[in-house]
Amino acid sequence: MTVESEYSPDADRIMAVSLGPQHPGAGHFRIRLWLDGDYVVKALPDAGYVHRGEEKMAEYRNYTQNVPHLERPVILDSSNILFAYSMAVDELMNSKVPPRAQYLRVIMSEINRIISHMYFIAIQGLFLGHTTMITWCMGDRDFWIDLGERIAGARVTFAYIIPGGVRNDIPGFAVEKGLNTCDWFEKRMDEYEKIFFDNPMVHQRSDRVGVLSKEDAIAFGATGTVARASGLALDVRKDEPYSSYSDFEFKTPVLTQGDSWARAYVALLDMRESVKIIRQALKTLPQGPVRLKLGPQPRVPAGEVYSRTEAARGEMSYYIVSDGSPRPYRLKIGVPSGKNLKALPHLLKGVHVADIPVIYWSLNYWPVEADR
Amino acid sequence: MVVAQQQKTGTFQVLVGKIDDVLQYAIGDPLRYLANWGRLYSLWPVHLETACCSVEVGAAAGSRFDIERFGTLEAFGSLRACDLIIVMGTVTRKLAPRLKLIYDQMAEPKWVIAMGACSITGGLYFDSYNVLRGIDDIIPVDVYVPGCPPRAEALIQGIVLLQEKIRRMPTLSGR
Repeated sequence: MTVESEYSPDADRIMAVSLGPQHPGAGHFRIRLWLDGDYVVKALPDAGYVHRGEEKMAEYRNYTQNVPHLERPVILDSSNILFAYSMAVDELMNSKVPPRAQYLRVIMSEINRIISHMYFIAIQGLFLGHTTMITWCMGDRDFWIDLGERIAGARVTFAYIIPGGVRNDIPGFAVEKGLNTCDWFEKRMDEYEKIFFDNPMVHQRSDRVGVLSKEDAIAFGATGTVARASGLALDVRKDEPYSSYSDFEFKTPVLTQGDSWARAYVALLDMRESVKIIRQALKTLPQGPVRLKLGPQPRVPAGEVYSRTEAARGEMSYYIVSDGSPRPYRLKIGVPSGKNLKALPHLLKGVHVADIPVIYWSLNYWPVEADR
Repeated sequence: MVVAQQQKTGTFQVLVGKIDDVLQYAIGDPLRYLANWGRLYSLWPVHLETACCSVEVGAAAGSRFDIERFGTLEAFGSLRACDLIIVMGTVTRKLAPRLKLIYDQMAEPKWVIAMGACSITGGLYFDSYNVLRGIDDIIPVDVYVPGCPPRAEALIQGIVLLQEKIRRMPTLSGR
């Protein structure tokens, strides 16, 4: 598109429009747009509507009290954000997490990955105008939420992975239910592939829309589904196996198209791998304790630590500095949404206005997570 | 002469008042009931996601819970046509002026549901530097739905409570 080279944003025919924060195409987030007719000349994201000061709040609370509010930024993906936090605190305290707890952490984080991807595909269907996609995905997502509820006891905010292990052991019936859910969901995903991703309407609306090339993905620092859809095989679970991920067999799905369709489809391929991991982990669950004994106010030796995990949206990282007191001296969360947002102004340049919601949501951007 | 005239208008006004009362009883009440009954089952919510409770609103709108059964429609459309704001969670200092602006743009009658602990008291973020401690400082709230986040069933109960409130609304124009 050569729109920008012909017209400058200051010219009379350019119209400045604000999309959001109250708009069906952009929730808790604003995009400032400069439009030339139906084409976007320039787009500037305006984040920060949900900035709640998580990092500052973490400095007032001790390491156990930090668990509930640190999972709120990614309520869809609550186990993965706590996984990175728990790993960082475990490393600071030099505690060795028992193997059963490691497996349960993996199971819960993969369940959360499916929950998050189902929401992502559902809202992608909403923005594409595909009603079946939202009703099916939202309905089927609840089976996985039910499974998580049976394991952890809460509906979406599981708070299951905590420093020193997991909060409670998995009940016996949940193992059986988990295996049944895996079997049912694999068949269900075949239907998804036929109905959503082989659909001519979905292809027409999202093929070659918002193409992010491999070079651009590297330049913008994309992670997770966005990077994998552009041909970059980035997966922390493979590159730097943490917890017990080296025990399981799974692949890293990579697509090369880099368009909105590929970014949605790579989420489905991700879920197939997650189901495989959950099944393997449930079948080979080791015996033993699930939680280390920590005091109510665990003291952490002075030092600093960096840990990262593969969350549903990409690489989730924590940097914690401890000065030996029960509270962190500084806690920094590196979120995948913030990394993927940097590609948005580039992708929106020169597209039709009607394509904005599809491109915006295909980046798997969650404002609450990015603003922290 | 002047006194008599005053008495005349006085009796006329009394007569008009009587007719007004009769009409109120005969037409006003049934009309109010009909209008409120119409509003009751076609609540148009504003699409304003303020924080993470929007996930549970999404689940409630999904096929398992399906709040459309209870007469809450999909959150698509103009602000002028909307009559319900579901404040989905934390309202930050940056969002608060927008929330007030959105509320002021909506036509009467309009209702507000404060969903989640954050929009009621600040919730988990009560000591954060950027979070409002409850939205009732800026807009009037009709129904509070507690929880962090509230389950979809709790949101549905909140909507049913709001419908009960609309059914018993004493005037045609709302507040």
